[in-house]
Amino acid sequence: MQQPAKKMKKVMVPRVVDGKETMVEIEVEDTGDSPKWGPNNAHRLLNKNITRVDAPLKVTGAAIYSYDVRLPGMLYGRILRSPHAHARITKLDTTAAERIPGVRAVTVVPSAAVVEGSQKATEEADKKNPIKVGGTAQPASNAVLKIVRFEGEPVAAVAALTPEIADDAIRAIVVEYQALPHAVEARLAMKPDAPKVMPEGNIKAASKSGDREKVAAAIAGCDAIIEAEYSTPTVHHACLETHGMVVDYRGGNTATAYASTQGTFTIPGDTAKELGLPESAVTAVVEHMGGGFGAKFGIGVEGKLACQLSKQTKAPVKMMLTRTDEFLFAGNRSGSWQKLKGGAMADGTLVALDATQYRLGGLGDGSQANQPYVYRPTQSYREVSSVYTNQDSSRAMRAPGHPQASFAIECLIDDLAAKINIDPIVFRKKNLPDTIYHRQIDRGAREIGWERRNKTPGGSAGPLKRGMGCAVGTWGAGGGPSCVVDVNVARDGAVVVAVGSQDLGTGTRTYTRAIIAEELGLSISDVLEKIGNSKLGNANASGGSTTVPSLAPALKDAAVNARLAVAGKVAPLLGIKPEEVIFADGKLSGGGKSLAWKQACAALPASGISARGAWKEPLQARGVHGVCFAEVEVDIETGFVRPIKMVHVQDIGLPLNRLAVASQINGGMIQSLGMALYEGRVMDAQLGIMLNPSFNDYKLPGTLEMPQLVSIIDDEDLREAVLGVGEPSLIPAVGAVANAVFNACGIRVRELPITPDKILMGMMKEERQKS
Amino acid sequence: MNTFEWTNPTSVAEAVKLLRVEQEGAAARDQDGVPQPLGGGQDILTTMKERITRPARLVNLKGIRGLDKIEGNARRGLRIGALVTLTQLEEHSEIRRGFPGLAEAAQSIATPQIRNLGTVGGNLCQRPRCWYFRLEQVVCLKKGGTECYAAVGENKYNAILGGGPSYIVHPSDLAPMLIALGASVVVEGPSGKRTIALDKFFTLPKEGNVRRENVLNNDDIITEIQVPASAMAARSTYLKFKERSSLDFALSSVAAAVEMDAGGTVRQARIVLGGVAPVPWRAPDAEKSLVGKRLDAGTLAEAARLALQGAVPLEKNAYKVPLTQTLVRRALAKVGGATTA
Repeated sequence: MQQPAKKMKKVMVPRVVDGKETMVEIEVEDTGDSPKWGPNNAHRLLNKNITRVDAPLKVTGAAIYSYDVRLPGMLYGRILRSPHAHARITKLDTTAAERIPGVRAVTVVPSAAVVEGSQKATEEADKKNPIKVGGTAQPASNAVLKIVRFEGEPVAAVAALTPEIADDAIRAIVVEYQALPHAVEARLAMKPDAPKVMPEGNIKAASKSGDREKVAAAIAGCDAIIEAEYSTPTVHHACLETHGMVVDYRGGNTATAYASTQGTFTIPGDTAKELGLPESAVTAVVEHMGGGFGAKFGIGVEGKLACQLSKQTKAPVKMMLTRTDEFLFAGNRSGSWQKLKGGAMADGTLVALDATQYRLGGLGDGSQANQPYVYRPTQSYREVSSVYTNQDSSRAMRAPGHPQASFAIECLIDDLAAKINIDPIVFRKKNLPDTIYHRQIDRGAREIGWERRNKTPGGSAGPLKRGMGCAVGTWGAGGGPSCVVDVNVARDGAVVVAVGSQDLGTGTRTYTRAIIAEELGLSISDVLEKIGNSKLGNANASGGSTTVPSLAPALKDAAVNARLAVAGKVAPLLGIKPEEVIFADGKLSGGGKSLAWKQACAALPASGISARGAWKEPLQARGVHGVCFAEVEVDIETGFVRPIKMVHVQDIGLPLNRLAVASQINGGMIQSLGMALYEGRVMDAQLGIMLNPSFNDYKLPGTLEMPQLVSIIDDEDLREAVLGVGEPSLIPAVGAVANAVFNACGIRVRELPITPDKILMGMMKEERQKS
Repeated sequence: MNTFEWTNPTSVAEAVKLLRVEQEGAAARDQDGVPQPLGGGQDILTTMKERITRPARLVNLKGIRGLDKIEGNARRGLRIGALVTLTQLEEHSEIRRGFPGLAEAAQSIATPQIRNLGTVGGNLCQRPRCWYFRLEQVVCLKKGGTECYAAVGENKYNAILGGGPSYIVHPSDLAPMLIALGASVVVEGPSGKRTIALDKFFTLPKEGNVRRENVLNNDDIITEIQVPASAMAARSTYLKFKERSSLDFALSSVAAAVEMDAGGTVRQARIVLGGVAPVPWRAPDAEKSLVGKRLDAGTLAEAARLALQGAVPLEKNAYKVPLTQTLVRRALAKVGGATTA
């Protein structure tokens, strides 16, 4: 019998490669019978505050992270990094390292296994200077020629009985470098006579759009014009668990990789390739992981080295990066340099914008959202280029490219509003065509007390000046069809939901349980989740805020299928039809009868029932906004900025767990506050090295920097669909804080982070101009 | 970190012997690998982990009895054992009452965890925080190299006073305050005890050995800090400016102490700046300018100007001049009893 042809339909979904999201059109089956979430206010567990199910494990330290894995016979790996920004290795001798008692293996980094972005350049160089690829230790006589292109580029690695021995051993490897000219600062790299970072040149034009002459003419007719440059430094993910993994391979046919990763299913293929095994022979385990923020996809150079060392020694190898490694070669948010010229009319119409945008991603392309970002002036022109420098490649980081673009345009918008003397939120509303922003702006303004702000920037009396700022953002936050969820209900009533997905710390475990429990009329504790294992059902990598919108629909589908399967077996006991069985309060009822859950499950077959779920497009949606307000106090005599309050309003459709969503939003504000006021990589242009690769000198905000944080879920978003919230919650706060500083003291700092020295220098400049 | 010998002397004399460097000459004494004393370990362990120092032997001072006591009071002055922790100092009721600036200085340091372990002696002897110094691969002037990279590099945090050829700033918060209070340190070495006024203890790179920050020899140990009774102690304060309130070193700090008569006229004053020079920086002209005056706005502004006279900022630290002037004014206003400056 011929199967009827499946009805297909086309949908747009985000495709995430290494955390960078692009939209692609795909065909999915049009099942037409997707389950529905129902109204957002009609849930029993969802859209409520649910305590994180893994909280006890995490606060007691019982949760096992990759960093905690200790296996019998395990060796510790360490990586030797290049101390130079650009150099040719002329000699590499591992003899002394191999002689250290406790050292089990030394390997040289094959030049093809370099960190993202530097690959092409390195390949070019290697054509001229072929090197022997590692795998076995290089004998002293065998000179290895390799070009290193940034400080921190991995050169060799060792495995030893203890991390301390491994630390000594990497220092015993003798490497001779012939230093080559380098360029670590974008402005220097752009000069015509700069050392070539890339064979094809240091500037790569990416895109151009708009008519520059028309824009210039439009700006010339404006009542107010702002022309300024904005820059943001390279900032870091600063995951509390560093990158790395433990490879459990002992020379057999299978291997297990305990990885700190955002993508359980990005691990087995990479690992298998390095070990020479079929992909199916490798299991990835990601029970808990300590932060990724876009930097942890695939096994990375550290994972490759771990595999090589494990293969050499036939022993498990733990290769977790040190904090210095983490700063130097495990990713960062690309810096930015933007030259903007914008004009507005006295009535508050944003007329035109001319934008030249440079993405500063080291050896990578970097990322930056296109200007004019969410605003729609009548005329706009932009050109975007990447500038290459001898620094490690940037990677995706929580809303790649967005905070940089948002910061610059939001400062410009604020300056234009000040110039035409119009309330910045009135100006924004006039120029934001999407009215969802309007309601979010009004909600945030009410919460922060916008009417209390300085009408004139810097206008209040005394040295301690308060100010408020506002900014907006946007993100996709939709999902795609990748998750396969299995639910098993046992005859004793035990419910297990299984899917291979990792939990980044964002609460995946909790909503995985909650969606099933909600559907089956059970409580959270009645369901157990199994996640973080590549032998379980497939799941997408957590990038682009796609986890919830990809996984939750499949969970809902599986839950509904499980309910129907249980109902099918239990309905006869109640004397009703399966679709009439009501699942509520831990009971199955209907037809005037009621069975407790366990009683009911006794009717199941010996093997229980199994149900599977897949992604259902209508259960998720795409497109979110987000508005942030900040209040700060600036001491104009010291330049000190004290964050007082931050408010973020976020639409998210159906919030699965309000507590987790609020926590995500708080985290977004905190990370953004760090970028606005404290954080930034500092490079020495002459030495070509990073000066602050530690938590002492790279200044993350701490507890004492925290303002009052108010996360507001925009419940006027009535979409009965799930969306991601990780990235949108980070974007606008940088601009909001920068604008609050300006409103407080009248000094506009256009170069992040806004540190006291910049405010004081701004004050000094202003005083000189006055006198 | 490299392997090292761990020793547990029970007396100062034994510790001094264990710290002895056999070879003669300054070069031998500065070489990497010489024995080092360990108090709370909060600085030396970081330098070892970062491989800035690689002592072949650590001499643990914590087994020596009697160095962890605070004795005395405002009337008699204080004797503070070198192993007294910063937490002890910060919580000591006599100090809080009679030497408030000292308690404030202790409280301004690092984090509660570090203050629980860090000692007074260790705080005075900690190494600079300059990032060039702290990076393993940079061999700067202070590590036997030929160049101070901060002179022309990223020098936002470096010295505006007393710099050259090295431009480090001294990181101790206790030192400026103790100098303002007229403190001395008792040092024990192979030839016995000696007492050194704390304002003679620290050495400028252009005057002393550029690789060191103070007059101690390798086998000298600070055993005690003596703070005299003083008419200025009760009106003392320490203002520390940090870029980040959580765990940070001073961009600039001011230790101030004054004695005033009943009418509010200054009899004597001490002003010592931290975070701006390779040593705690005394401001004698500013101190003198206050004598015989009431602490009004004009007097404070003049003292602030004088305290920073002679400042020569590097390319990226000119902000430290107005910042420190503000701190001088505010510190004086605070000890003078006024609420604002």
